[in-house]
Amino acid sequence: MELEEKLAILADSAKYDVACTSSGSDRGGQAGSIGNCQAPGCCHTFTADGRCVSLLKVLYTNICAYDCRYCVNRRSNDLPRAAFTPRELADLTIQFYRRNYIEGLFLSSAVLVSPDYTMEQMISALTLLREEYRFRGYIHAKAIPGSSPELVRRLGLLADRLSVNIELPSEASLGLLAPDKSRAAILRPMGQIAASATQNRQELALYRHAPRFAPAGQSTQMIVGATPESDRQILHLTQGLYRKYSLKRVFFSAYIPVVEDSRLPALYTPPPLLREHRLYQADWMLRYYHFSAEEILDEDCPNFDPYMDPKCHWALRHFDRFPVDVNRAGEEELLRVPGIGPRSARRILIARKNGALGLPELKRIGVVLKRAQYFLCCRGYSGSRSPRRELVARALLDPEAFNEGCEQLSLFSAPQVQQLAGQGVAPRLAGLQVKEEAVKCIARQM
Amino acid sequence: MYRQADVVYLYDSSWQGFLCCVFEAFFRREEPFVICPARGFSPTLYESRFIDTDPEKADRVDRSIDEKLGPRARELVSLAFLNGSEGKELALLRFLRFAYPRGRRAPWFLGSEAVAPVLALEKAVTGEAHLLKGFLRFQEYDGLLAARITPKHYVLPLLRGHFCSRFPEENFLICDVTHRAVLLYRDHAASYLELEGEFQLPPVGEEEARLQRAWKRFYETLTIQARENPRCRMTHCPKRYWENMTELQHLV
Repeated sequence: MELEEKLAILADSAKYDVACTSSGSDRGGQAGSIGNCQAPGCCHTFTADGRCVSLLKVLYTNICAYDCRYCVNRRSNDLPRAAFTPRELADLTIQFYRRNYIEGLFLSSAVLVSPDYTMEQMISALTLLREEYRFRGYIHAKAIPGSSPELVRRLGLLADRLSVNIELPSEASLGLLAPDKSRAAILRPMGQIAASATQNRQELALYRHAPRFAPAGQSTQMIVGATPESDRQILHLTQGLYRKYSLKRVFFSAYIPVVEDSRLPALYTPPPLLREHRLYQADWMLRYYHFSAEEILDEDCPNFDPYMDPKCHWALRHFDRFPVDVNRAGEEELLRVPGIGPRSARRILIARKNGALGLPELKRIGVVLKRAQYFLCCRGYSGSRSPRRELVARALLDPEAFNEGCEQLSLFSAPQVQQLAGQGVAPRLAGLQVKEEAVKCIARQM
Repeated sequence: MYRQADVVYLYDSSWQGFLCCVFEAFFRREEPFVICPARGFSPTLYESRFIDTDPEKADRVDRSIDEKLGPRARELVSLAFLNGSEGKELALLRFLRFAYPRGRRAPWFLGSEAVAPVLALEKAVTGEAHLLKGFLRFQEYDGLLAARITPKHYVLPLLRGHFCSRFPEENFLICDVTHRAVLLYRDHAASYLELEGEFQLPPVGEEEARLQRAWKRFYETLTIQARENPRCRMTHCPKRYWENMTELQHLV
């Protein structure tokens, strides 16, 4: 088979893996070798769906022994199949890397014969790349659930980042849709990777040339919208994963129907992109804004508001905690103000040492006053005492959910808008209509 | 105190030349209407004055930045000067005027009218350099890797360290068409050259064409049709970079 053909088949099978980050490793170049890594990562191009491409994301093979219902590569699916040889893969990676197409390699695989056999193939390709080609760029490798701990350890010594996909948010869903995988088989390597990373940190403290085990940590991914879990359940699971396995990232992937099955959403159901977007926003709140999952969603409202991002929603429900005095508040308090992010919060802390800040200064620092003005006070501005509720609601609503500035129906618009548009209302009008209702509804609630 | 002067400063667009403009403005206690490079300047109603580049004056100002304003101000000013937009000189002059009385604390007045514009200039430069570290594309000609870029700002010095560390055993050149400058890395040593005449990358060989096809095919395969979102792509990867990117060229 022509290499180009093979690449297309194996990239097509890998594209539903969300992670394509190249962050977390910092490694300079070295004479006699090729490649380096920069900690913030680097995007090399963007696909037509707006996702970043930074790694050569391929499967080692898409010949699979398993039959998971949600997956395109399942055994029972009629699909062209292919497999790389270690040499082909290493060579292609280097050639792409030299032309600055990619930041490194993302290697995953279907289960060829058995998990252990697959892992051995992947390890031989990566060993070739690291040792013979002396490649110092980024490698993200996916540990195959059910493979032996020794192989996971060897993979971790070659790769910068490891990941094990948790696939579905609960054990029941996993049993229903992926009968060959079990929760224990997924969590065991995850636990092992977390433990090895801790141990490796101690080794490095004693001896700085100790071999590094997955220096960029581990990540995971789950499918959203294929099974009936609530946003609250998913967010709690996410928080648990961050705390227990010290993951670097949890990725969410809106389910795109690839197969007709009574246990799955019907074909041509649009992927729940807005829900995925809200989950990422909440994920950011966990990682960068010092929120806990319990604060973001509770039992009374187990799902995200489609019209508003979770941080604004939290601020509206806790209106009594505001306004925050920008010139006195601590970093955590500042981060809770809608319109202030981690960067502007840090800048405020630095800038206010040199004198009290007023509204013009905040604007120049990068605070989004459209939202923040209702939640803060500063020099020369004592906060809007009794703001018109409608104004606040209007400022906080997420324009993307209402198809704003867009004649066509956006994939990110709220379900209500999509429904109205489905009934024949022009998308723009539908957006406006739903927005007016949402404004009134929120104003009443406040 | 300084006064607003109805005069245009012209200089040779070098860093030293700019420092002499700073010297002149401080010496005369005035703020010019605008400072701009002499090349390509079209006369205005204001009186224009060419500021000669005097290494001695430039050196005095240069040293004072390190001595009085500290390392962060040095970094800020030198990065902001790489910016290609008009009016950067005046923003820098205003920053320096604000900074000298305040000393080493000056760059940390983040909300100040004098500092924020310079921070924005700096961000534009480092931002573009970061994007180009990803969006730049090499083509191979008999072992020499060549790339063409058309950045708004003069980012070659910021790309130099990155690519030299990444490809220590390669020979490569990066051609900045906008600023008519070439970064050449050959036999483990990097140098800057000036570009003369037009520059177009010559047609590629058989093997290179095959790899480019494979890359384009890979790129197109990655798109998930059900999520197509061209506006999102344009936000992350502005169209002005497309002309030099192997996989996007044909869409321009």
